[in-house]
Amino acid sequence: MSVEVEVNESDLAEMVEQVWESYLDPEGISPLIPTYDENQPSEVHSSVSITGSWSGHVVYACSRAAAQRAAAAFLAMEMDEVSEDDISDTLGELANIVGGNVKAMLPAGAHLSLPQVVLVSESSARYPNAKRISGVYGMWEGEPVSVSMWQSSADNKEEGA
Amino acid sequence: MKILIADDSRVMRQIVVRTLRQAGFGDHDLVEAADGQEAFDKATAEKPDLVISDWNMPHMTGIEVLRQLRAAGNNVKFGFVTSECTPEMMTAAEGAGAEFFIVKPFTAERFDEVFAPILG
Repeated sequence: MSVEVEVNESDLAEMVEQVWESYLDPEGISPLIPTYDENQPSEVHSSVSITGSWSGHVVYACSRAAAQRAAAAFLAMEMDEVSEDDISDTLGELANIVGGNVKAMLPAGAHLSLPQVVLVSESSARYPNAKRISGVYGMWEGEPVSVSMWQSSADNKEEGA
Repeated sequence: MKILIADDSRVMRQIVVRTLRQAGFGDHDLVEAADGQEAFDKATAEKPDLVISDWNMPHMTGIEVLRQLRAAGNNVKFGFVTSECTPEMMTAAEGAGAEFFIVKPFTAERFDEVFAPILG
């Protein structure tokens, strides 16, 4: 079954913008500045898997400092007050929020996993049999942050045939 | 009123608590649960007036918690705060007796809109 992915980069960008407005930058003073650089570095990442009508992963990747800043913003604390657990929890929730919003745009019958958090770079934990189909890449207070969608190859078979 | 907040993310529970405060509902008695089973147990033991639950949680999902509470004859006011919002989920939530459906990310305005009629 080949499924047309109905979530494009501008949809992803809108979801990311909502996360910034609601939690990471409610005062609108430090937006994510787009870099359009899909190869920008990351030090930590989190992901949720979607299976069913569309299969793949939604990945949130960033630098450690950006993860720490996100946790501080989520918890309304100073950056040096957040713990390792706070950072993991925040990263998982960020992937969950974007993943849930992505799922809502997919055809009925998609299942969202619980988030997975890995405190190593995205590039050292590539997703087997999946290819990146879209993403939003930017700098937040000078630190890299990206949100990308990876489609599992089972869904890609017919495209290559 | 006693409010039970169920979410497997501690950070998200804190955001829900903070947003309740921002929306002017900070003086209620707040109880937390870190997964679906704990949500069910505390909804039974603590007898909250309102349950605000995540959907996707370990051990039991939010909709399972709601269904089991109703099956046990517990009619506590119950609603969802979740990043997932599909028509099937909303239908399932409504069918199981949920009072509201708030999508993450949410704002204090959205909380006010949903909880003002419930919490007064």
